[in-house]
Amino acid sequence: MKRFYNVHTIWLAMIVLTLFTYGMGKIGQEGILVVFVLLLTVVIKGSLIIYDFMELKGVSLLWRVIMFGWLTTVCLAIAICYLISP
Amino acid sequence: MTTDIIDTEPKLLPGDLAIWLFIFMELLVFGIFFVVYAVMRIQNIEMFNQYQLTLNRELGAANTLLLITSSYFVVRAVQAIRINNVKSCIHWLYAALAGGLGFLILKSIEYSDKFSEGITLATNTFYMFYLSLTMFHFLHVILGMVILFAVVIKAKQGAYNAQNHTGIETGASYWHMVDLVWIILFPLVYIIR
Repeated sequence: MKRFYNVHTIWLAMIVLTLFTYGMGKIGQEGILVVFVLLLTVVIKGSLIIYDFMELKGVSLLWRVIMFGWLTTVCLAIAICYLISP
Repeated sequence: MTTDIIDTEPKLLPGDLAIWLFIFMELLVFGIFFVVYAVMRIQNIEMFNQYQLTLNRELGAANTLLLITSSYFVVRAVQAIRINNVKSCIHWLYAALAGGLGFLILKSIEYSDKFSEGITLATNTFYMFYLSLTMFHFLHVILGMVILFAVVIKAKQGAYNAQNHTGIETGASYWHMVDLVWIILFPLVYIIR
């Protein structure tokens, strides 16, 4: 598995996730479940950027908490807003 | 014993600490902007859903692909300088800049379409958020490109090598932040409903 985990496959994974996001919009998928799935793809892509592209893998826990905390807090807040929408 | 202690020490943030403080501030501002958009949508769901359909999802998706790929090119530039391959590093940075330029061109086409339809910040709440959020990000892409271009010039002057490349890591970190923000902005404004 580790063999396939590198910047090339990470880039490819993000391309695939972006096409998936676009596809969901194109076929007009709606609803809270779709919102959660799309926000999950955002968290996955964001985590890959933070961890591997920005190279926060192995840095002090404080920096990782700030970056991953920002990503998850923003996505959670958005999810809650869509969840409580009438 | 000493080696064990060194090995378990966390590594330093790539690039200058100052750029990271700047990045944290930028992310805070964008984060607030995103949450305010989602909160305002609660009170204007029909309007947001109606006008979201007028956005060009194809250009939005293409721009996402461009920024992700451009970020990947920057990663390759950092990898190249770490093995002292300055020429390759410069080529990757030029490729990243081309990605950024492509983003600006596509976004300009999108804005041109909207402006020709008479859409402005004052048209409605949705367009106010769409224009202000994307234009704010647009400015960050320009700033990121200026930083990357400055890094290219310094690299050409021989300022970086395998031992000294903090400047490249600094520019790279900022560029990845620009990508990270768009990763949330695209689905939030163009897709999720």
